Amino acid sequence: MNCSYTHILISPYIDGELQEQDMRRLENHMKVCSKCRAEFEESKELHNLFANVDRFKTPYGFHTRVMANISLGKTKARSRIPVFAGLAEGFAIMAVIVLGIFSGTQLTKGFMPDKAKEVVVSFSLDVFDPAPPGSLGGVYLAMTEVRNEK
Amino acid sequence: MSNNSDDSAAIDKFKKGEKAAFEELVMKYQDRIYNLCNHMLGNSHDAEDAAQDAFIKAYQNLNDFRPEASFYTWLYRITVNTCLDNKKRPFFKSLFMTSDEDEEYILDPVSEEPSPEKLYESKQLGLALRKSLGKLSLKLRTVIILKEIEDLTYEEIADILEVSTGTVKSRISRAREELRILMKNFREQK
Repeated sequence: MNCSYTHILISPYIDGELQEQDMRRLENHMKVCSKCRAEFEESKELHNLFANVDRFKTPYGFHTRVMANISLGKTKARSRIPVFAGLAEGFAIMAVIVLGIFSGTQLTKGFMPDKAKEVVVSFSLDVFDPAPPGSLGGVYLAMTEVRNEK
Repeated sequence: MSNNSDDSAAIDKFKKGEKAAFEELVMKYQDRIYNLCNHMLGNSHDAEDAAQDAFIKAYQNLNDFRPEASFYTWLYRITVNTCLDNKKRPFFKSLFMTSDEDEEYILDPVSEEPSPEKLYESKQLGLALRKSLGKLSLKLRTVIILKEIEDLTYEEIADILEVSTGTVKSRISRAREELRILMKNFREQK
């Protein structure tokens, strides 16, 4: 029996859904294969964890509410969030977003153009002199100009 | 799992026009159905709505119920489908629903008076289990809940989900494999 076949059998073995013959084969394989034994033990541990999970109990008056809804001819339980409330909340989110964009524009309206101008000026080619006078580049350009005049 | 003859008697009364007989069935199955919904949906608000919807649908369709079938597998099928429909909720609605995923499972302590460390560990494991379960695909989550929490047989699960027992077997195996990995990651993060 190989490990890939054993792997398929572990889950039904834990659930008691395995045929006698497969059960014996699996048990014999696990005696000699530590990998499959470890897999079985981990799965069993998980199974035991579920066995200890508490069950949720229906809230008080549940069956009365079911019968009341039935006698009122309702086809669906009343949702905790009615459709109109959901829509209202959707509109509220949209309003907050629009208000945010609008107030952001208003707040930056006063000083943003000046700031923007400063930024543009600082990157302007007018103030950028690739060869300022007195620099090596400047001297070279001056010499080139003199030579050209000659 | 349950006394089918009791169910049949209540269903017969219902079909003869005694609509109040349905209340017997609600009282008998309400905890199981609500428990299933809570595990499937991960929060108590949706669980109550879904459980109520399932019982209302059962009431509306009980006249079409075939007596040779099992009532609880029929009711479980309605419940599972209601929960799956609930998961396809509109986008806006899902934004405003809170999840109880952070609410841990309460694991019964093994000893009668567990130490604070044992209690803490049990709480952490419960939390990890609930979170891990929430990470499984709906298909795998449904099948492992029906097996591990509802303690149904492969045949009953196959009947509820209208699939073969082979499919149930492979889905349970895959669900356990994914859960083992998720729980291992949780332990390594600790």
